[in-house]
Amino acid sequence: MEGFVAQKLNEFATGKISRRRLIETLTLAATSAYAAGSASAQSESPLKAQLINHVSYTCPNFKEAADWYSKVFNLEQVGPTARDVALPFGKKGEQPYGVSAKDVPLTHLIIRTPNPNAPPPRGGERPRPAPQAVIDHIGYTIADFNRDRAKAALTAMGVKNLREAGRYSLHMDDPFGYDVQISGLEANALSDG
Amino acid sequence: MERFIADLVKQFEGGAVDRREFCQTVALAAAVYAAGDAANAQPGTGFKVLGVNHLSYSCPDYTKARDFYTSVFGLENAPGKDTGKRTNLMFGPPPGKGGSFLVARNATPSDRPAARAVVDHICLTLSNWNEERVRGTMKAKGHEISGGRDGSLHVLDPFNYDVQFANIVEEDAFRRGQ
Repeated sequence: MEGFVAQKLNEFATGKISRRRLIETLTLAATSAYAAGSASAQSESPLKAQLINHVSYTCPNFKEAADWYSKVFNLEQVGPTARDVALPFGKKGEQPYGVSAKDVPLTHLIIRTPNPNAPPPRGGERPRPAPQAVIDHIGYTIADFNRDRAKAALTAMGVKNLREAGRYSLHMDDPFGYDVQISGLEANALSDG
Repeated sequence: MERFIADLVKQFEGGAVDRREFCQTVALAAAVYAAGDAANAQPGTGFKVLGVNHLSYSCPDYTKARDFYTSVFGLENAPGKDTGKRTNLMFGPPPGKGGSFLVARNATPSDRPAARAVVDHICLTLSNWNEERVRGTMKAKGHEISGGRDGSLHVLDPFNYDVQFANIVEEDAFRRGQ
């Protein structure tokens, strides 16, 4: 713990992190150091995923995709750069739906465009192996989901390739042909499949 | 409603919707409006997203993915959903209360056109982050950290899919660029 604090302090002193960030980091570290012990004692798995933090989505035109997701899901765009932007599932300060822990942020999409001028891997760096797995679609949980109303609204927005998937779900294509599913809370791990 | 129709006409004139879609949309919008829920028919307002419902993960052998995500990140195999070809791995809030799940499935041929976008990695939030414990757990399980920094690390799963795991300090949309 001391080493960690010293490291963060050094980062602050050298201007690598802000005063606010230093305080936040140390507060979290201090409060989680004790909580971690009790959490690991109660759980079979020492690490336990609480929520999706973000989904990294790469496409030819991040602005076009971001505008589509903003329109369809009413998402704000934050922290834009020349190559990417984040779309959190709510407003700043909101708690993720169903989550009580205070150290779990809102899920967000990071929508990116590859940099064609990115330098090649430096000598000695291992090239990343190509994945043999793919996330072929993502389902989003929608508040007050009603399939027929949703279908009307999506059609009005000009959303392409709408497909029904049972009574509680719809599929559609985003601007780059990625398969997007929406459903209500009724569709969950115990009811699906 | 007037604005909605005007926008729809504009889309129609621009070729964004064809005649059939236009008619269906107006009819459906009228029905929704009559039902007293006009807000849902307004274009541009969008839906309220509560969270990620599920990620559909397709791979050569779902059992390897199942074992990895349950043992490393504590996902739970949903009872009765392991079919021998796929399963649902739950995490977060309870099912039906905002919980998410990862559908680990064996890859099957698809007749869908290939998308021009890809989900190149996902990031999971871990609560009560403790750097030493997180790194130590990964090492103990024989998984090499493939990248990242304190509070935000990466690991490759059995099919070399990039999985990031992080705390709120390092990965929060509203802190980007700070």
